[in-house]
Amino acid sequence: MKYFFFHLMSWPYLPDDFDAKYDSAWVWLPNSLYDPVKGHELYREYINTLALADELGFDGICVNEHHQNAYGLMPSPNVIAGALTQRTRRVKIAVVGNALPLYNPPLRVAEEFAMLDVMSGGRLIAGMVIGGGPEYFAYGVNPTFAREKFREALDLILKAWTVPGPFEWNSKHYYFRYVNPWPRPLQQPHPPIWIPGVGSKETIEFVAQRRFAYMGVPYFHIDVFRRVFQQFRDACAAAGYTASPEQMGWGVPIYVAETDKQARAEFEQPFWYFVKNLMKNIRLAPPGYTSPQSALAILKNQSLFLYSQKSWDDVEKGVFAIVGSPATVRQKLEHYQKELGCGVVLTGCQTGTMPHELARKSMELFAREVMPHTRGAG
Amino acid sequence: MLDILKKLKFGARVLLAKSGGQPETIDLHGRPTVLMHAGDGPPFVYLHSTLGEGFMWLPFFQSLAKKFRVIVPTHPGFGGSGGFDRIDAVEDMAFHYVELLDALGLDEVVLGGVSLGGWIAAEFAVRWPERVKKLWIADAPGLWVEGRPLPDLFRVMQDRDALRRLLFHDPEGYMASLVIKKEVDEQTMLRGFQAMTVLARLVWERPYDPKLAERLRRVQCPTLLLWGDDDRLVPPAYGEAYKKHLPHAELKLIKGCGHLPMFEKEAEFVEALVAFAKD
Repeated sequence: MKYFFFHLMSWPYLPDDFDAKYDSAWVWLPNSLYDPVKGHELYREYINTLALADELGFDGICVNEHHQNAYGLMPSPNVIAGALTQRTRRVKIAVVGNALPLYNPPLRVAEEFAMLDVMSGGRLIAGMVIGGGPEYFAYGVNPTFAREKFREALDLILKAWTVPGPFEWNSKHYYFRYVNPWPRPLQQPHPPIWIPGVGSKETIEFVAQRRFAYMGVPYFHIDVFRRVFQQFRDACAAAGYTASPEQMGWGVPIYVAETDKQARAEFEQPFWYFVKNLMKNIRLAPPGYTSPQSALAILKNQSLFLYSQKSWDDVEKGVFAIVGSPATVRQKLEHYQKELGCGVVLTGCQTGTMPHELARKSMELFAREVMPHTRGAG
Repeated sequence: MLDILKKLKFGARVLLAKSGGQPETIDLHGRPTVLMHAGDGPPFVYLHSTLGEGFMWLPFFQSLAKKFRVIVPTHPGFGGSGGFDRIDAVEDMAFHYVELLDALGLDEVVLGGVSLGGWIAAEFAVRWPERVKKLWIADAPGLWVEGRPLPDLFRVMQDRDALRRLLFHDPEGYMASLVIKKEVDEQTMLRGFQAMTVLARLVWERPYDPKLAERLRRVQCPTLLLWGDDDRLVPPAYGEAYKKHLPHAELKLIKGCGHLPMFEKEAEFVEALVAFAKD
């Protein structure tokens, strides 16, 4: 089992009347609420926390891309990853990912990911995403072409990394006379490709067919992960091979403290801040971003999504987070790792307003008292 | 009570009107295109709005069909009409419709539409002015009007009350509750998603055509600009912008009317079109 520490770099300073006053933490939340002086301090602390994961023996760290929102303050995760290449020595750096349709030309992603791979000495994991619905509002990119552009851009980037340039590229959405990026990635033939997914059949089948790795985005009921990984194994079998556990990642927040009671006391409030404030309107879905049928399915399946959970009991029953003493977390983690059959756990604990020192305490307890015991399970 | 009677009356008229146009599907170079038509007289092509009102033969089509041969095609991507994979821009819709006129053997028509339909008609008329005998445009976007940004329909589309307030002068009125129902079934919801997908494809990146204003001078036929005086989605300032660039246009405001005059002020809408389009 590989453990990756995930950070969103959330904004923890939303006003107390946020919920009453604003209908979204995304796209149109006024950026006058952002304070760059506090922001400076936050970036410094958040990067320190990610660097700590390297020292503690996590296998990797994850950063990702979001625009015009208070949920995740990395419009360019590559900037943060660049800093991390110089602050870490051992961990994989997973950028999960760059939202390909938002880059024009998408060759920018081929270039920046190659830079990160070379700078880190071959530690980059290249995540490629379509990008969430809100990003299409924020960037004005046509959502009805999101999927077409994603696939074209992905093929272009892979070709740019593996076929000697310069070459000419022509597809429906992109034409380039000269494709010839410098630098090229250090890992050969190219860095591992991770595709985050929220459970759609199309993405599962695509990732399986292309033999990439599927990273299940957190915030879904454990039943969703059960279904998704089974579908993924079936899709790999249909494509003529057996899925490897490393192709399947399970995203789940984990928080460890001295006792179960203390863990919940420290974790719960920051977590609800995250759920009730930062996730507000996260599933904003512009028309054409999914098929009308999928849009309808999303509306129907709201009850399996974290934002719809009302009580701590709901959170625990649906395994939206694993929270407790080292013994409790060990027991739950082993159980679900085995059941899901995944080979990667993407865990993070600094959700919402979680203080830096508590986040680091949890990471240390996890690294010392959970990770060594649960690595073999699954 | 009065509202219920009004609803019943409209329902009965819908049933009666249905005996008019029946949907037919014709093949336009591999694009299945649904259209309805009825009536005799000069050909009158109605291009529907994003509401997709071309999917049934509504009373105002029936009224127009007393004077004209009314042809109501369903745009690519709406309902049963295909060819959406070849559509990127409103201009592509115009190219689609010139092929429809060719297929129907119509050299010259009265052409117009409401909202998106009106914009498509304008894009058509600047390219093939000789095919348009008279042009009418109702409550249509398509131009940039400084200081009058269009509200974001995509932001409010899931909120049916907000939608009603945006589209109607009287959001509490019986037509508002009939057109934007409080509760919708799955089929209606899917149709709504599909319609908004087509609109997003056309306008997401830029809700107007920067070249249209300059090109409007090519339209040499009489043009009627018909606008709800209380259109909150595409306000009358857009009608004035069209008037400024069109050589032979008159702007007629309909009192107490929002974005959808064919529903909210059906009688005035039909009357204005008949007066304008008849020989």
